[in-house]
Amino acid sequence: MEQRTAPEGILCAKTHEWVLEEDNVCTVGLTDYAVEELGDIVFVELPEVGTTFEKNEVFATIESVKAASEIYMPIGGKIIEINEELISSPEIVNEDNWEKGWFVKIKAEDFARDSIGLCEYEDYREEIE
Amino acid sequence: MKKTLLYEQQLKLNAKMVPFAGWEMPVQYKGILEEHKAVRENVGLFDVSHMGEVLVSGKDSVRFLQKICPQDISKLETGRAVYCQLTNEKGGIIDDFITYRLEQEDKEKYPKYLLIMNASRIDEDINWFSRNALNYDIVIDNQSHNYSMLALQGPKASALIEKMGLKKEKQPKYFSIKKTHLDTVSLYIARSGYTGEDGFEIIAGNQVIEFLWHELLINGKEFNIEPAGLGARDTLRLEAGLHLWGNDLDENTTPVEAGLSWSVAKDKKERYNGKEVILSQLGIKNKGLYDVKKQFIAFEMVDKAIARHEYEIYFEDKKIGQVTSGTFSPTTGKNIGLGYIYYDKIALTSLNNSNVTCGTIIQIMVRNKMYNAKVVKRPFVEKHTRI
Repeated sequence: MEQRTAPEGILCAKTHEWVLEEDNVCTVGLTDYAVEELGDIVFVELPEVGTTFEKNEVFATIESVKAASEIYMPIGGKIIEINEELISSPEIVNEDNWEKGWFVKIKAEDFARDSIGLCEYEDYREEIE
Repeated sequence: MKKTLLYEQQLKLNAKMVPFAGWEMPVQYKGILEEHKAVRENVGLFDVSHMGEVLVSGKDSVRFLQKICPQDISKLETGRAVYCQLTNEKGGIIDDFITYRLEQEDKEKYPKYLLIMNASRIDEDINWFSRNALNYDIVIDNQSHNYSMLALQGPKASALIEKMGLKKEKQPKYFSIKKTHLDTVSLYIARSGYTGEDGFEIIAGNQVIEFLWHELLINGKEFNIEPAGLGARDTLRLEAGLHLWGNDLDENTTPVEAGLSWSVAKDKKERYNGKEVILSQLGIKNKGLYDVKKQFIAFEMVDKAIARHEYEIYFEDKKIGQVTSGTFSPTTGKNIGLGYIYYDKIALTSLNNSNVTCGTIIQIMVRNKMYNAKVVKRPFVEKHTRI
């Protein structure tokens, strides 16, 4: 996997999702650490646009060759866009987890409230290592 | 946690280690998909030193082996191998293993056998051997701590072994074993494996294994060799439709139920553990006395989902069985699986106790949702093992 650096301004959850917020819209993906640990991703199941999830609820499932893993909402809100490319080409998550490999865009219900407990990338790395 | 002698070498190759049967083993190096592809197209090198190597020799070695498995060991010629199951009195499978008949050395009067068994079952197997060895003049020599083992698998394995000094015509034929030298190292080399590809399993003393590993990787460069881990080993064996003990086989499953009837000797005279049950299930003797309780099936997913170990199998809204192994198949791009259909459950459905046949559409429950799958024939990928 090509090494890429985490984008400026992302927040990470302990459950290995990243969030980038802009005008109350949150793009969500998986951290490099999670992708590395999972290995080759061969299946991604995404929610329907319009579905609302609370923070920490399971909203997607991914499968590596070895096992299935659940992905949790780092921020509560409504799904406004999904990355359909991942459904036909799940390997994008391995190739570019920070940009092309994003999962969903969420219209946050209360970003300020839900972002409590998320941390900056450097702190996240420190915590998991 | 035990480590094989190649542990440090594997860390240098960026291996990701996982616990497996009491050993710390590499699950992958560069990635399961890449390693899988290397084995199907070129050649892959697996460290399988965790597996058990047990030598059985002595005056009664044949008589003893005849008692512990449904295969006919008396017909096994020198230098040949046979796939066996260690069965209990009910015909259940305690372990599955390969028996190699080794060449007798000058002063050896009786046949000598090498048994390669699952790492997780060595202690259980040895216990079972001891309990069955009373009144048999045999020596059971567990060499698992002294031997290491490599599996070199893929269409270019033979060319690599030739480059290492063993000409193609001198290489063992399929399901055969030879004691020979590779690069001055004395070892056993067998034409066998767990991938569905042509390839070799090399059994050698602990002291030479690091050298062999190194030499195979260096000489294998021109054949695009890749070190491969347990992850690829699992996807490869699944595509080849091969059972994994603990997933697809256990002590409550007979070889007949597991779809292994082909491996059972039908006309073997000697009594062996579980013979009554197995012959009854085969319909040869005492037909109907012991019924087959389940049927082993292979399936591929029709809907987009991956079946995994212990997921439930449904037919017409009724639970009829369980998945024992499932994965994404890198070669076919399909999601594939193995499992059992329980006959007492089927009897109540429109299948009416007949066999679930190829083409039957079943459902697999994945995260509380039903997904269609189709019963298919094993193997999922054509085997290339006949030499």
